[in-house]
Amino acid sequence: MERAGHLPGLSADAVGWRTLTFRRGAETLDVAVPVLAEAQIAELATRVRTNARTYLRSRTVAEIAATIDRAVARLLDRDDPWRQKAERLLPLVTGYDAEMVRLGLTGYLKTFRGPELRKFIAEDFANPAVLDDFQPMPKGGFARAFGPELLLHVWAGNVPGLPLWSLISGLLVKAGTVGKLPSAEPLFAGWFAQILAEIDPELADCIAIVWWKGGDEVAERAWLGRADTVVAYGGNDALEAIRARVPITTRFLPYGHKISFGMVSRSALDAGKAGAVARQAAYDVARYDQQGCYSPQTFFVERGGRVSPRAFAGYLAHELDALGGKFPRRPLSMGEAGSVASWRNAEETKGFADPSRALLGDPAGSWAVAYTDAADGLSPCGLNRTVTVGAVGRLADAVPGLAPYRAFLQTVGIAAAPEELFALAGALGAVGVTRLCALGRMTAPEAGWHHDGRFNLLDLVTMTEIEGSAERAADIFAPYTD
Amino acid sequence: MTEAQLVEDLLAFIAAGEADEEAFNRMALAVFAHQFETNAPYRRFATQRARTLRTVKSWRDVPAVPISAFKDLTLSGRPPEECPHVFMTSGTTKGVRGKSHHPTLAVYDRSMTVNFRRRFMANPYGGNFERLRMGILFPTEQAMPNSSLAHYLALAKSEFGTADSRYLITDAGLDVDGAIEALSRAETTGEPYALLGASFSVVHLMDALAERGRSFVLPAGSRILDTGGFKGQSREMAAEEFYSRLSATFGVPRRLCINMYGMTELSTQFYDDGNETCPSVKSGPHWIRSRVINPLTGQEVPRGSVGVLVHHDLAHFNCASAILTEDAGVEVEGGFQLLGRADGADAKGCSMAVEDFLKAARAP
Repeated sequence: MERAGHLPGLSADAVGWRTLTFRRGAETLDVAVPVLAEAQIAELATRVRTNARTYLRSRTVAEIAATIDRAVARLLDRDDPWRQKAERLLPLVTGYDAEMVRLGLTGYLKTFRGPELRKFIAEDFANPAVLDDFQPMPKGGFARAFGPELLLHVWAGNVPGLPLWSLISGLLVKAGTVGKLPSAEPLFAGWFAQILAEIDPELADCIAIVWWKGGDEVAERAWLGRADTVVAYGGNDALEAIRARVPITTRFLPYGHKISFGMVSRSALDAGKAGAVARQAAYDVARYDQQGCYSPQTFFVERGGRVSPRAFAGYLAHELDALGGKFPRRPLSMGEAGSVASWRNAEETKGFADPSRALLGDPAGSWAVAYTDAADGLSPCGLNRTVTVGAVGRLADAVPGLAPYRAFLQTVGIAAAPEELFALAGALGAVGVTRLCALGRMTAPEAGWHHDGRFNLLDLVTMTEIEGSAERAADIFAPYTD
Repeated sequence: MTEAQLVEDLLAFIAAGEADEEAFNRMALAVFAHQFETNAPYRRFATQRARTLRTVKSWRDVPAVPISAFKDLTLSGRPPEECPHVFMTSGTTKGVRGKSHHPTLAVYDRSMTVNFRRRFMANPYGGNFERLRMGILFPTEQAMPNSSLAHYLALAKSEFGTADSRYLITDAGLDVDGAIEALSRAETTGEPYALLGASFSVVHLMDALAERGRSFVLPAGSRILDTGGFKGQSREMAAEEFYSRLSATFGVPRRLCINMYGMTELSTQFYDDGNETCPSVKSGPHWIRSRVINPLTGQEVPRGSVGVLVHHDLAHFNCASAILTEDAGVEVEGGFQLLGRADGADAKGCSMAVEDFLKAARAP
């Protein structure tokens, strides 16, 4: 039995616990998640808020970043018991291949080392000192950035460690933090808080990691009503339900589900390069079995290269097959298998009616590539290592068809020459794409990434300004005034 | 074999009352041969799977068409324009409706009536009811000419309903007053009454009755048939709740609250023997057989494990007698349990899934 969460000041005996059971083959893991009474929610919210006000506000961003860096270093250290526990339990909880989790964790955690944290800050603040004290402003006067005293994160999803992104962003703006664990991966965030507690107990007292059942209106309202700012992840229906319960005076930052895709230019399609490009594309598809918003679901492939789009689909299929041997896909529930099968069946049937389509897949159904000669826009795949390859005359031809999905577009993994890259970036940005990256890097955004085109830190803070007039007026009242 | 000959054989097969493995196999191979020869898209589909007249030796080898294919392909042995009856799915997800073409309804109707008599008309005190007074909670065939359910219920009413049986859904919607009148009359006369319709219509009626504070204790032998399920709800809970509410509202014991499981892509229905416990066990007559498979590999799952249902319905002779559903199920003693849709999985990550994407695409 693993206990999830982090509840400073509350004794474990005083709260209710509920067991979530995770199974993988013959192994099972019970995870106890806390269920708080309304009075306990109130108590915890007040404590986090007070601690943040007194402790976090008194520290500099550099000091807070240093503490986070030390915690992350422990998670990067393969001999550290926390790291070992993560490597052991996260595959069991999420179902992902153990080696994929191990590599994924390292790659992801590297994003939060000290120097990387400085990138987060520098991306959003020209002068990071503005988080510590009033700084002169170009327009005159002074300004200081204040994070919310109580920042609530409603996390979702099963990609290991994902909550860290918003949790750390909050800490960097000195926000008292309450995070709601995702039921699909309820461990990592609590562990991180506990590691922080071993390094800096006072800082960890500014964090609570809690849980409630999705849709539990009483608990949700209790938390939502107490937060200054709410960051929430989930599907649009879930986000809408949350938004309806957030008081109008509370800042609400929703991160909905997104769709991402890849683009391969004819300049990347000669015999020497196409294989490597397909390998990177396949890696983006296989990583976390396409569960991430940055996972590609479609590849637009340009005609006219030495390697045809149809042949590229074959390369991609080959690479997916090879990756399946190296990092097997996680076992699917019957529901997920059904989704994959119905997507695959539908793609296959379209092929009977239309000879310009083809479906490549292994008999066991562990991956599939649907090819179409004439890409008819963005088509979502069945997830879990299924992908569409569509041929286009020019990559730019694919762009107008994307416009209806503006609100859902996120990452584009791209293999193209520099001039094409910039031309496409302009067109893609205009229809709503917020991130372009190399193929093979789609699932690993760099530190300081503007998630869904927003600011990680800047969106959280409010600015307090001392206008020049106040400063000048103050002069009159100074004891040194003549 | 001509179509007329096949139809005749099928009618005789249904009339035979039972079929052993060998008889079922023989009939299944004849139906497969007919479909393979007359139905070009099905032949392409089968050939792609390396299933031909030569390689298909048993009904289990007959390749099952995914129900989504009924949307993309015209699966009909007879040219569609020669088929006077076309049943269509409601087409909720993509706006495209799957179609089943029927050159004749003789087999469909025989399949329905033989099975319905056995499964719904049984008198708990022995024998069968010849007719029952019925209330139908669904539009008429005239209102919904392409609905297989409308046809099914019309057939139930005409073949098994008394002369004063009636529709409780009109152009104006649910006829709550009419329903109350019919239910009250049944209470007074003591004659068993049968309420049949779509599950959601039954829910509407119960809501309307609750609003008026009405409930009934229908006479002994009364029964309810619902079909269609409850989309978008937590199924097991909903079923449990639904049948206890049914029983409380109409005073019909749960063992006489029967659920029918049918599909536009089939010509035969499955029934349970009431819903005292949920999920109930469903089974069909001797001319339909079901398998439970892993949808990704197509392999049968071990008995007792959850998989996706494949039905081999010999009565569906014109389109495809073997269909791969999107329904999860588990094989149990005496039939299978239906566990809801197999692709209703909650999204695990933040990658947009097909359903949300389509919703977004439909939005203005």
